[in-house]
Amino acid sequence: MLSDPTFLAIQVLNGLQLASLLFLLSVGLSVVFGLMNFINLAHGTLYMLGAYIGLSLVRWTGSYWIAFAIAPLCVAAIGAVFHVVLLRRMQAASPMRQVLVTFGLIYVGLDSVRYFWGDYSHGFDAPDSLSGMVHLFGESYPAYRLFVIALGLGVLLVLYLALEKTRLGAVVRAGVDDSETASAIGLNVSGAFFLVFCLGCALAGLAGVVAAPVISIYPGMGISILISALIVVVVGGPGSLAGAAFGALLVGMVETFGQVLAPSYASMVLYGLMALVLVVRPAGLFPARARR
Amino acid sequence: MLAAERWRTATAVLVVAIAAVAWWNAGYFAHELIQQVAILAIFAMSLDLLVGFTGMVSLGHAAFFGLGAYATAALQVMFGWTVLEAMAGAVAVGAIGALLVGCFAVRLSGVFFIMVTLAVGEALHAYLFKDRSFGGDDGMGGIERLDLSGIGISLDNPAAFSVFVIGIAVVVYVFLETIVRSPFGRLLQAIHSNPARVRALGCPVPRYKLAVFTLAGAVAALAGSLSAPHTAFISPELLTWTTSGEVLIVVIVGGMGSLIGPVVGAAVVVLATHYISGFTDYWMMFMGLFFIAVVVFAGNGLYGTIEAVRILLSRSTRAPR
Amino acid sequence: MRAIQATIGVVGLMAAGLLYSPTAIAENPVKIGVILPYSGVYASLGGEITQGMELGFATYLNGAAEIELITEDSEVKPNVGLSKAKKLVFQDEVDLLVGPVASNVANALRDFVHSQEIPLIIPNAGNNLLTGERCSRWVLRTSFSNGQITRGMGPWLMEHGYDTVYLIAADYAAGHQMMDAFRETYTAAGGSVVGEAFPPLRDTKDFGPFFAQIKAIAPKAVFAFFAGGQAIQFVKQYDQFGLKESVKLTGAGWLTSPLYVHAQGTAAEGILGILNYVPGIDSPENHAFQAAYQAEYGRVASEFAVQGYDTARLIVEALKITGGDASDRGALVDAMHAVSFVGPRGLLRIDPLTNNIIQDIHVFETMAGAEGTELHVVDTLPAMQDARNGCTL
Repeated sequence: MLSDPTFLAIQVLNGLQLASLLFLLSVGLSVVFGLMNFINLAHGTLYMLGAYIGLSLVRWTGSYWIAFAIAPLCVAAIGAVFHVVLLRRMQAASPMRQVLVTFGLIYVGLDSVRYFWGDYSHGFDAPDSLSGMVHLFGESYPAYRLFVIALGLGVLLVLYLALEKTRLGAVVRAGVDDSETASAIGLNVSGAFFLVFCLGCALAGLAGVVAAPVISIYPGMGISILISALIVVVVGGPGSLAGAAFGALLVGMVETFGQVLAPSYASMVLYGLMALVLVVRPAGLFPARARR
Repeated sequence: MLAAERWRTATAVLVVAIAAVAWWNAGYFAHELIQQVAILAIFAMSLDLLVGFTGMVSLGHAAFFGLGAYATAALQVMFGWTVLEAMAGAVAVGAIGALLVGCFAVRLSGVFFIMVTLAVGEALHAYLFKDRSFGGDDGMGGIERLDLSGIGISLDNPAAFSVFVIGIAVVVYVFLETIVRSPFGRLLQAIHSNPARVRALGCPVPRYKLAVFTLAGAVAALAGSLSAPHTAFISPELLTWTTSGEVLIVVIVGGMGSLIGPVVGAAVVVLATHYISGFTDYWMMFMGLFFIAVVVFAGNGLYGTIEAVRILLSRSTRAPR
Repeated sequence: MRAIQATIGVVGLMAAGLLYSPTAIAENPVKIGVILPYSGVYASLGGEITQGMELGFATYLNGAAEIELITEDSEVKPNVGLSKAKKLVFQDEVDLLVGPVASNVANALRDFVHSQEIPLIIPNAGNNLLTGERCSRWVLRTSFSNGQITRGMGPWLMEHGYDTVYLIAADYAAGHQMMDAFRETYTAAGGSVVGEAFPPLRDTKDFGPFFAQIKAIAPKAVFAFFAGGQAIQFVKQYDQFGLKESVKLTGAGWLTSPLYVHAQGTAAEGILGILNYVPGIDSPENHAFQAAYQAEYGRVASEFAVQGYDTARLIVEALKITGGDASDRGALVDAMHAVSFVGPRGLLRIDPLTNNIIQDIHVFETMAGAEGTELHVVDTLPAMQDARNGCTL
C-alpha cells in the first residue's frame, strides 16, 4: 500500500490538511500556555462554537465567506468576555483553579450549544468557488482541502512575522521566555496575554468554521479534538510557533497514515508519543522557553 | 488531635448518622441512590488523596475505577474466581496500574500532569472499547455479589447491599483518615504546599507522590469492584473523561483536602443530578455552572464552608491578651 | 336558603362526578416506562422515537386502554439506563418498559428484565445477540437486528453487477455485525470483498485516509455503515474526493437518513441504501403516517419515528387482546406474538422463535427531487426473518 503513488500522494495531502486544522486550533492554546502556564480546557468548546456560529451565519446570509470572517470574531468576543468575567478574577488564585473553571465551561458549552442549535447533526458546504477538484500528481484532490492547507501555511507565516517583526510580538516572546522579568522591566505582559488569548480564541473559532464543510457539526466535536490539540501542544512544546506547527504536522501525519495502516494502534502511538516526550523532553520538541 | 481533625471526625459521624436514617427510611429505589453515593464517595476519597492532600489534579482517575470494575468482572466471569478473590484481585490490578502509570506521571506537575492523566484515561477507554475479549462497547454482564448466605444475608436484597457498601465506605474513610494523620500524610500535605522545601529537606518527593498515586489507584479500583456487582454490568463508559470529570467535580464541590468533604459532595452531586435531570435535559449545564461557582467563590467547597465556620468560631473564642 | 343552595351544589358536583367518571375497561392506567436518550449526541433519536410513539398511541388507542408514559433519560450509558430501569420498575411500578436506542444499554437491561419478568420492547437497539444467544421471553424488538438489515444487500449487489466490494463501518459491535452479515451472503453469492476498514466510532474527523485506500484498490462498490454525524461526514467527503463517479456508494440506510440527508446536499444523490423504512414507501398506510407526523411535528418522519409508531401500535393491539389489562405480563407478551398488522413499513409481526420483528427490507436510492433529496424505493425484500442464531425461547 505504501508503495502505491496514488495512496501516498493523497495521504500526504490528507495529513497536511489535518495538520493545518490542528495548527489553527493548537497555536492559541500553545502560546497562551507558554505565556501564562494556563491551559484552557474549553478550547475545544471555542472550536465547536466557531462551527455553530458559522452555521447560523451561513444560514442567515447564504455566504460562507461572511461566516469565515465573522465567526472567529464572535468566538474571540466570547472568549474575551469569559476572560474578563471569570478568568481574570481567578488570576490571583492558582493556575489550577483557572484550569478547573475552563473544565466547568466545557459542560456549560456543551449544553448551551444543544439548547440553541438542538441535538441534530448539522453541516454546511464549502463555497462554490472551492467545491471542485484540483488535479495534482496525476490525481484529483478536493480544492477545499487544498485551501485549508494554504490557510494553515498563511496563518503560520502571518503569526511568524507578527512575532518577529512587531512590538507586540516582542512583548509576547519576552513574556514566554520569562514573564516575571518582562513585567519587572515594564512590559505589559498581562495586556499581551489578553490579546494573545483573544487571538487564540479567534483562531480556534476559525478552525471550527473551516472544518465544518469537511466534518459534520455536532455537540461532542469540541471534546474529541481537544485531546489531539493537547497532544500537539505537549509534543511540539508549549509557547512556540514552531512547536505548534511541528507538533501539528507530526500528529496530523501519524493520525492520517495510522488510521489506515494500523487502525488499532494509531491512537496508542499518539498517546505513547506524548508519554515519551513528557518523560524524555518535557519541554517538548521545540520549546520556546529558554532552559535554565 | 487538631481542632480541624476533630471537626472532620464530628462531620463524619454526622454523615454516618444521616446515612443510617436514610437507609432506614429508604424504599427500593432510594437504596440504589444510597449505594451510588457510597461507591462514588469511596472513589472521590481516593481522588481527594491526590487532589486535596498532595495537589495532583488528575483528569483520568476513572481509569483505575474502570480497571477495578473490569478486573472484578473478568476475574469472576472469565476466570471463575470467587467474588472475594475477584475483589482483592481488582484492588491489586488497580494498584499495579497506578504504579505503572505513576512511574512517569508523577514526575510531571500541574497542567502536564492533568494532560497525561487525561490521555491515560482516554487510552484505556479506547482500548477497552475496541478489545472484544472484555466485551468491547457491548460491555460484560453476569457479575455476582458476595455470597453471605452462610450468615443468612443475601446481598441481592438492596437494603443489605446498602449496608455492605456503606460499611466498606466507613472502613475506607477510617483507613484513609489514619493515613492522612500519620507522618506520611503530613509529608504529603507539605509536598502540596511547598515541594521545593520538602526536596531541600532531603525527602524523595517523587517516591512519595508515587506511593500516594498507587494508593489512590488501589482505592479507586476498590470502588470499581463495588460498582460492578452494584450494576451487575460493566462497560467502557466507566472510563470516559466525563466520569473522571464528575468525580473531580464531586471532590471540589465537596471540599478537597478534607476527606469527608468529597463524601458529602458525592451525596450532593448524585441527588442533585437525579432531581435536576428529572425536570430538564440540560442538567450538564447546571452541573457546570454550579461547579464554576464553587471554584470561583467557594474554592474549598461545601466542607470548606464548615471549616470557615470553625475558624470563625475559634477566632471569636480566643481569649484576648 | 343557604342550605338549599349547598345541597344543590353538592348534588350537582356528585352528578358531574358521575358524568366524568372514566369508562375505560381497566381501572388503572397501563404504565409504560420509556428509557431513551434525551440528552447528549443521541437525543434526537430518543425524541423521534418518542414522537412516533405518541402519535401511534393517539392514532390507535381509541379508548381501548389508558396509557401513562413515564420517560427517563438513558444518557446512552448502560449503568444509567439500568439505574433508571430499576427506578421505573421499583418506584414507579410500570407494567412494561420501552427502550433503549443503544445496544450497550440494551445489554445492561436484558438480565434485569429477564430476572424481573417484565416485558421490554426495544424500539431501536439492533445487536444480533438480543434476539439471538441472549434472547429472552421478556425482550421483544420492533426495530430490527443488525444482520436483518444488511444481509439482503449481498445477493442484491451481485445481481446488479457489483462483484468487488470494499467494506467500511464504524468500529463497534453494530458495525461489525452489519458487515459480517453482508459479507456472508455476498461471498456466498460469488462476490469478493477486496478491502475493509473500521474507523473508530465518533473519533474520526476525516475519512480522507480511507478514500486514498479505496482509490488505490478501485472496487466496483463500497458498502458502508455509518450513522449520525459520521454518516454526514462520510457522504460529503466521498463526494468531495470524486469517488462517486468511479465507485458506487452503497450502505445500510442510515447513511442517508431523512434526519440529516438534507445536510448532505447533492453529495447524497445516487447512493443506494438498504433499510427497514424510507419515507418514500408508496403505500396508503405510509402516506397516512407521514401526513399525520408532518402535520404534528413539522418534519419528515424518519425510520426512528416509525419504529416508535409501530411499537405503540403493537402495544395497543396486544392490549386489545388482553382487554386493556397489563397486570398479567405473561399474557401481554403472548398477546404480542398473536398480533400482526400492516404498518407504514409493510406487514409486521413478532417472530415467536426469536422475539425479533419480521418485516420487509427496502433497497432505495437517494435522488434529487422537486423539494430536495428524495429516497425512492428500488426494491423490496419481503418478510425478512432472522434465523434463530442460538436463541432458545
